[in-house]
Amino acid sequence: MSDEPHTEQHNSTSTPNKGEQVEGKATVLVKVYAPSHVYFEGEAYSISAVNQTGNFDILPQHHNFITLLVPCDVIVRAPTHEEKIRIQNGIMHVKADKIIVFLDV
Amino acid sequence: MRRPNEIAKDEASMATLAELTSVFEGIASMRISQTKTQVLESTKFFDELWKIYTQLRVDSLFSFGRDEGQNNRVVIDKELFIIITAEGGFSGDIDQKTVEAMLLQYDAEKNDIIVIGHHGAMQLSQRGISFRKYYKLPSNDRNINVEPIIKEVQQYRRSTVFYQEYVSLMDQEPKHISLSMAVKSVGSGNERLDEVISEQNYIFEPTSFAVAAHLERSMMKIAMSQLILQSKLAQYASRFRAMSASHQRADEETADLHMLYNRAKRGVKDERLKEIINGMKKSKKAAV
Repeated sequence: MSDEPHTEQHNSTSTPNKGEQVEGKATVLVKVYAPSHVYFEGEAYSISAVNQTGNFDILPQHHNFITLLVPCDVIVRAPTHEEKIRIQNGIMHVKADKIIVFLDV
Repeated sequence: MRRPNEIAKDEASMATLAELTSVFEGIASMRISQTKTQVLESTKFFDELWKIYTQLRVDSLFSFGRDEGQNNRVVIDKELFIIITAEGGFSGDIDQKTVEAMLLQYDAEKNDIIVIGHHGAMQLSQRGISFRKYYKLPSNDRNINVEPIIKEVQQYRRSTVFYQEYVSLMDQEPKHISLSMAVKSVGSGNERLDEVISEQNYIFEPTSFAVAAHLERSMMKIAMSQLILQSKLAQYASRFRAMSASHQRADEETADLHMLYNRAKRGVKDERLKEIINGMKKSKKAAV
């Protein structure tokens, strides 16, 4: 089996403009990528992943945070769809409503 | 004089060779373009990670990611040489130059060698130089697994990588760099220490120390992957150069053979004409 992250998309009906609040909900800017591929880049309501402590969610206004991710499904809840990215490892950096997930590191 | 049909056969073989070298040239050119894009993407990724690392701790503390529970590990007091070469012998003369550059600095007492790429391993064996390990050059340009090499690197006091640099399509050079320097040089120019990342302003999981050690290992892996990618780029360019030269020679040879064929054909025609004229002369004499 390949170690490459695997992605799944679940679409919803609304299509808001990037950076806008959707139905009054605040968003964060998310980028999930590896040196060879960008898996997700855009606005999202929240992102879920797993580290050594367990499952966690990052929502807007989250405190600055750096964590090492363990093998899991990273779930990005975007306004238009929900994206599930299966990962082996990674580093998540959260700062000022901007979340970067570095994969394959 | 050779017969025209023999020359025609040679011409056809040479034309096939010209087509074949042209195909290899095209493949090498395509791979150069793909690998160049890959190197750029990887550099961008590294830059962002480096920014976080430099804000987290200063680079003079770089310790090859050994910190995490490995303080008691015995470090081999030698310098590890890692040489990156092509997998096959189809890459021009750049591998030979890289091996020669490494051997200028090699001292069996002070250095251990790890070879990446079968061509380099063959060249060292031919020179009677023993190496600690040999790894195949990854055939894929994406998701290069350098974990086994990094594990070896962490056992040594110092590590130097001998690689091949792509200067231009027609120019590739053997280079070497200390691996910790490689990490620093890839990250140079991105050292905006405008904010310090510490436990005062960040939450770390599991710990700040574990995150820093992990980042060091990650950057070393990316730097190593980038050196492998750069070497592959130089090898593709060297192959392109070799194939261009072969293509040109094959084209010239085809043209020469074609001229030779025409001359031979003309020679055969002249010979036949001579025979007909002589025959006619003889039959004219007989009639008189």
